[in-house]
Amino acid sequence: MLAAGEGSRVGHDTNKVLLPLAGRRVFTWAIRWATRLRHVTHIVLVIREQDRATVTATLDREVEDPRVVVVRGGDSRHGSEWAALQALRPAIEAGDLDVVVIHDAARPLAGTALFQRVIDAAAAHGGAIPAVTQGSLIGLEHDQGPPAAGVVSVQTPQAFVAGPLLTAYAAAAEDGFVGTDTAACMERYHDLPVHWVDGDARNIKITFPEDLFLAERLLAKADFDLSEPEPETAPRRGHLWDRLHRGEHR
Amino acid sequence: MSDARAELACETCERVTEHELHYAGRLLESVRCTECGSHLELSQRALLPAYVHDLEQRVTSKPRRLVHRAARDPRGFWTGLPRALARQPGKFLREFWALVRR
Repeated sequence: MLAAGEGSRVGHDTNKVLLPLAGRRVFTWAIRWATRLRHVTHIVLVIREQDRATVTATLDREVEDPRVVVVRGGDSRHGSEWAALQALRPAIEAGDLDVVVIHDAARPLAGTALFQRVIDAAAAHGGAIPAVTQGSLIGLEHDQGPPAAGVVSVQTPQAFVAGPLLTAYAAAAEDGFVGTDTAACMERYHDLPVHWVDGDARNIKITFPEDLFLAERLLAKADFDLSEPEPETAPRRGHLWDRLHRGEHR
Repeated sequence: MSDARAELACETCERVTEHELHYAGRLLESVRCTECGSHLELSQRALLPAYVHDLEQRVTSKPRRLVHRAARDPRGFWTGLPRALARQPGKFLREFWALVRR
């Protein structure tokens, strides 16, 4: 669970994941939904060192789950992911973990069903990322219509089989490679297929002030409960690349 | 009412800036960019029903939260309970007053 921020500013700025949102801090909502899955055995929360006291007090008050451990993040998203994987390394090497899920703590509305969906798909295929179609996008130039191959927006949580993910990040650390996201690192060091699963339109990332208002309303609309199980009908899945080429966004 | 500050993206400044956030109870009421002054707030018409819905959830979840707190720290819970109870009327009056005087 990445809660260390973008690392774009250094100093006394307040991390948005520590903001109150409908009675809890932003970052504990996603922990709440993920921990509803009994087979989730470890949660590594990656934070900035200056947030440690607030995070610890908040976890004690709002989560109080022995599965949660807190580690210090790196200078980049890649560095924070590597810090989390190092915390999980003993469990991965002992064969205790099958799948690792990477989630941005600024997405408090990633519900239990979405976590379940990416874990299932990663266990079956190697990697899974949630995607939401963006069919209404259009190019700015006069001669550009809608993007020909389709456009999706990619969300977190993203899940990968644990062993290859660890070896990919260990290789990246040796090479000094810094990926923009988890999939970039996996694609560079492994040929495991990354499958897409249906994302959730509610799974917004807190970026602009408006997102906080929206997140609050979406939580209220769901009666503050996003722990609903996966629906009976199987969600659509496939290879992300195939989907883009088939133009399934339309 | 309570306040918070955080780094959020500002559409006017086109970068991440510090914002001031004001809450009515636990409901976000307004946000202001401290650099350009861009202000965003929930309208009175939207705020009141949202507050009532939120208050309903706060009240219905209160017993569970009290039990959780009592289980976590029984001594602290029971010694702090009289003071916490005494503070509630004033706290709610301040919230209601802040809502109606907007």
